[in-house]
Amino acid sequence: MDWKIAELKELEDKIWRCTACGTCKIAYDYGPPPTFGEICPAGTEFGFEGMMASKGKIAFARGILSGELPWDDELLEAIYKCTVCAGCQNQCQLDHKPFIPEIIEAMRRKAVEDGVGPMPLHKNLLQSMKNYNNPYQGPRRVRTDWTRPFKKAGKPIKDINKEPAPVLFFVGCTGAFNTAARAVPTATASIFQKLGMDFGILGENEICCGSTAMRVGDSEEFKRVATKNLETFKWAHDERGVKTIVSSCAGCYRAIKKDYSLSSEYDKIMEGIEVIHTADYLNRLYKEGKLKFKGELPWKVTYHDPCHTGRHLNKFIIDHEGKQLWKGAYLDVDQSECLYEQPRDLLKAIPGVEFVEMPRNRANAFCCGGGGGVMTGFGEWATKNASLRVQEGMDTGADRMVSICPFCHFNLNEGSKRIGGQVKVHDLTELIDKVLVGSNDD
Amino acid sequence: MSELSSPQKDQVFTATDVGNVDSVLKELRKIVGETNCTASRHIRYAYSYDLSFVKPKAPDYVVMAETVEQVQGLLRFANKEKIPVVPYTAGTNIGGLTIPERGGILLDLKKMNKIVDIDSEAHVAVIEPGVSHAKLADALYKHKLRFGWPVGPPSASVLACAISHGIGGLNAKYGLNSQEITSMEVVLPTGELVRVGSCAIRHDAWHSCLPMPQLDGLFKGWLGSTGVVTKIGISVHPIPPLLKVFTVSCDNVEDMYSYMLNLSNYEMCDDLTAVSWWLAQVPIPYPFKTKPDDAPEWFSFATTTSWTEKEREARTEIWETVFEEEQKKNTSIKRTVYPEEALKGRTQLPSQVVGSTKNYCKQGGAGISWPGTFTPAKVWAPVYNKWKEILIGHNLSPSVRMSMYRGVHYGMLRAMIPFNKQSAEETENARHAIVECLKVDLDSGGIPYKPPIDFATEINKRANPGYLDLLRRMKKFLDPNDIMNPGKLGI
Repeated sequence: MDWKIAELKELEDKIWRCTACGTCKIAYDYGPPPTFGEICPAGTEFGFEGMMASKGKIAFARGILSGELPWDDELLEAIYKCTVCAGCQNQCQLDHKPFIPEIIEAMRRKAVEDGVGPMPLHKNLLQSMKNYNNPYQGPRRVRTDWTRPFKKAGKPIKDINKEPAPVLFFVGCTGAFNTAARAVPTATASIFQKLGMDFGILGENEICCGSTAMRVGDSEEFKRVATKNLETFKWAHDERGVKTIVSSCAGCYRAIKKDYSLSSEYDKIMEGIEVIHTADYLNRLYKEGKLKFKGELPWKVTYHDPCHTGRHLNKFIIDHEGKQLWKGAYLDVDQSECLYEQPRDLLKAIPGVEFVEMPRNRANAFCCGGGGGVMTGFGEWATKNASLRVQEGMDTGADRMVSICPFCHFNLNEGSKRIGGQVKVHDLTELIDKVLVGSNDD
Repeated sequence: MSELSSPQKDQVFTATDVGNVDSVLKELRKIVGETNCTASRHIRYAYSYDLSFVKPKAPDYVVMAETVEQVQGLLRFANKEKIPVVPYTAGTNIGGLTIPERGGILLDLKKMNKIVDIDSEAHVAVIEPGVSHAKLADALYKHKLRFGWPVGPPSASVLACAISHGIGGLNAKYGLNSQEITSMEVVLPTGELVRVGSCAIRHDAWHSCLPMPQLDGLFKGWLGSTGVVTKIGISVHPIPPLLKVFTVSCDNVEDMYSYMLNLSNYEMCDDLTAVSWWLAQVPIPYPFKTKPDDAPEWFSFATTTSWTEKEREARTEIWETVFEEEQKKNTSIKRTVYPEEALKGRTQLPSQVVGSTKNYCKQGGAGISWPGTFTPAKVWAPVYNKWKEILIGHNLSPSVRMSMYRGVHYGMLRAMIPFNKQSAEETENARHAIVECLKVDLDSGGIPYKPPIDFATEINKRANPGYLDLLRRMKKFLDPNDIMNPGKLGI
């Protein structure tokens, strides 16, 4: 299986398309009314121009390529002090726009190739992936711990290794191993059961999607697990009748949809398989009238857009042949695959929920601070950043913050604790599970 | 500290040996705290270049101040040690103004970003240097107020633009953004805090610079070489609800000048601008592309705002009169539809589209510079015709803008020149063309604004000796050790 993962050198022309104009540094929309907000977590925290949005990262990339910036500890740390949230990418209007996260990750890949990267704490994570196929140093058997209550209740979750099912619930390592985030797969499976869905999991045979490895620059480790997963998906489709892979994790979803498409075999392997995020899946059912709610959740709720289900799913329209403008010109962005409206529609549909929007939302959402390896590499900063986002949620008057990513779920809860825990952070599935009418309730 | 003060001639980038400068860093840390200063190579590198043709040069230290007291402490220290200090906010000027000529300390002011006050009755805002156009636009709109937003990135600094004689979308009515400054607070290069304008007399009175001696001139247009401006008051204006943009096109610059002069006499526009065909394209064609024969060479937009329908009708009536008068002169003037994206970029300000320089240098590849000048409108036509020759001769597009300021009192004439920054030859070609254009303009009575050193050299060649002497004396008086953004004025 061949993988088209760009080296930094291959992106040099794109890197030179950055003018250093600084539009990337803030979230701004003309309006009226005009809106303004900070967009770059690293810029907000560290302030120096080099740490600020893509302008600074591009400066680093230029210096690394030209040899003016030889590796040292501080440079290495600086390229990892970025959540790769793509907030800067959303603001940029120039031709390197479609490649901004790619450039940042390509710098990290170069650091790994040159033997200096990633950060020490990332190395533990990568070693864990090699040893356990997950970044949490968790033994295989622990991966299914969250399913025990289902078994105990006489509603065991189907193991797709043993039985066929049309829907594969790809749980993800964070939901399975991070005890605080286990609420996510638990609620997801509960919803699926209430809906009477025929679904299964890979259980102990599920392995990491590879997102974390890719984000910190270890493309070899990413390729290893991604190749294995693609083979598993093909097997699940051919042998177990899987037609849909549902993910409750924004990171897994992004990896399978986007990173895996860098494989030469992707289209062939994934033929007949749809990959969908839970929020999208449930929203479809809601629109079809298949979700019925009972009771009320008298909560004032705001919604946090994960980067991986938002900006990272942008599709950029590029004039590859130079027919409309010139070769390589950035023409437009297609946001149709971004999951902006689906979770909002569901939240608004839940009886009793009062939905309020934070000023920075959708494509301009401020990152939770946990992405791009930051939660592992710089935990304290990740939590501090999350507290800024939670504070923004509190400022709306909301008492709950909802997201659709176990990473955001964990990190925002840590952020909330840091500032006194006045806002509780939930996954969207948790709310739906609370009010969904199940087949047994009818 | 002599090694820090020595000019880094033609130096692309040389990292300072951090080991030699620890004592400086130690002092800086005492002043602004450990996390607000650095001598790290990669951080300095990111401040070493901008959009322009000016050769990259890195500072030796980068410092972020958060308070006026920190700025004072820093300048006292730098003045004592004779270390250059370059004030910086967003670095979005296209004249290399914040590229340190002699190394030293780059003072990044972006953390001083408070909107101190918006007086919605007196229509005055008081802001710190780090306040961006986007931030102020957001805050002012809540009071239904506006400012003359420039055609620049939303992240750029309002204060830096204003003190550098920046332009904006209300220039036809109110003049330059520097003319909108009401009062200033400045830290002198020796560390003293001074105030000029009404706030000098009463701390919370920011309404005007009058009627006392207008000392604000000591800090406006000096490219950060006479002090660090830590607060300014600016006039802000109500937003009339009705927008009407009148657009015309014509085949030559003479006809466009005639129309603009005529319309300007009525002093009814917020902005009255014309752009050549090459600047009306999105983006500017690079390298030079021939204009199709059937396309007009000039487009103009006249932005007007009105409070009532009747007022708008009256403006329309005046405009129709002007248009008819121009037609009677047998000029090539025509009503036209201005290209939609270009119009959006020039009326919906601050603008991400234009601000990101998409319109300007996207096709060129990272580089953009200009001969930007204030030039009497009556010489626009001959200067433009000469510029066209020079620029096309360098295989560059004559992408020129002409704007009327404060009625007919003065005008802005500039060419936005994109170039491929990846190529040293193409960058040099652009620099030569731009400086040639500038000489033509200077010799016709134009004055460049936000001038890079190449421009300053040309200005000073033509300057009255008494003026240059006064300039030197003022600079020496305010900055006895020549620490503030040294080398930029060419004196």
